[in-house]
Amino acid sequence: MPSMPKRIKFRKQMRGRLKGNATRGNYVAFGDYGLQALELHWVTARQIEAGRIAAQHFLRRQGKVFIRIFPDKPISKKPLETRMGKGKADTAYWAARVKPGTMLYEIAGVPELIAKEAFARIAHKMPVRCRFVRRRLAV
Amino acid sequence: MPKTPSITATTRERTGSRYAQRLRKQGRLPAVIYGHETDPMSISVDEKEMLIHLKHGTHVLSLNVEGGSKETCLVKELQFGYLGDNVIHVDFARVDLDEEVHVHVHLNFVGEPASARKTGAILSHDLTELEVICKVNEIPDEIRVDLNLMEEATVLTVGEVPLPPGLRATAHPGTPVAHISFVHKEEAVGEEVEVVSGAEEPEVITEAKPDEAESGEGGTST
Repeated sequence: MPSMPKRIKFRKQMRGRLKGNATRGNYVAFGDYGLQALELHWVTARQIEAGRIAAQHFLRRQGKVFIRIFPDKPISKKPLETRMGKGKADTAYWAARVKPGTMLYEIAGVPELIAKEAFARIAHKMPVRCRFVRRRLAV
Repeated sequence: MPKTPSITATTRERTGSRYAQRLRKQGRLPAVIYGHETDPMSISVDEKEMLIHLKHGTHVLSLNVEGGSKETCLVKELQFGYLGDNVIHVDFARVDLDEEVHVHVHLNFVGEPASARKTGAILSHDLTELEVICKVNEIPDEIRVDLNLMEEATVLTVGEVPLPPGLRATAHPGTPVAHISFVHKEEAVGEEVEVVSGAEEPEVITEAKPDEAESGEGGTST
């Protein structure tokens, strides 16, 4: 089931604007390998869930998949054949804001080749260009 | 203790992001040396050479700075580019070889515990590096963690990891290094549950509840 927040402060949000690069959540933190976004976009809760299912079907019981983004932005949409006005529409779906550099998913406990294949399947479900990354150098 | 590798460095006469950018285009990596109550020095090192040492887990380097001075330095911090993986700047701290320092050492996991071979078992590494206190000349490139030590246990803690002599871990001995979890249900792996649209909505914490709204209206109307 697509995820969404349990408690929110306000029911609707302004659209906002995506710009710049990710300055947080832009490195592999939990797993061994990661899938990194290279473009900015709203990724819907359904797309995130589709990616998780694609990876877990492929991995079966091996490894662990970490989802690094959460859809916390409500997106409203007016019903079809509705006249303009009469206030802001109800929430249609939830989305995560993704900027270049954002780590979308991480995988731990599987060999690199299997992780690459799993990420290729996830990348097909994503609305952004992605790339495979390893853990970065640490001192 | 591995032998301290030595690299050559040149001083940077002009500092700032534009000049640093030009250096990077020439294959140099901007860096700074500080510590031991001496003035900081802006330098640049060969990028390829530096990255090779970093990939091998080197912590201490002997820098031959152009102009004659030789400094023994600890790689203190790395700065990464906008996608979070390319090194764009290095901080070196001057150290003495018998000085005690805090460093993060990479953990190299080897072997497979017996409990990880059971059906549905997933081995997860909770830590990939461990912060240790040791003398500069005793810093290892990596710490080898033999997972066979776990045997039938499901958790390996920091206290159970045998450290090389002279090293002390800063983390609590009970902190897990690796653990084994089990997947029980077949459907837990990637099954999609049918979604009923609008079935669930998040709770709006600022919204007045029906009872409060009524009482609030009564209060204001008077």
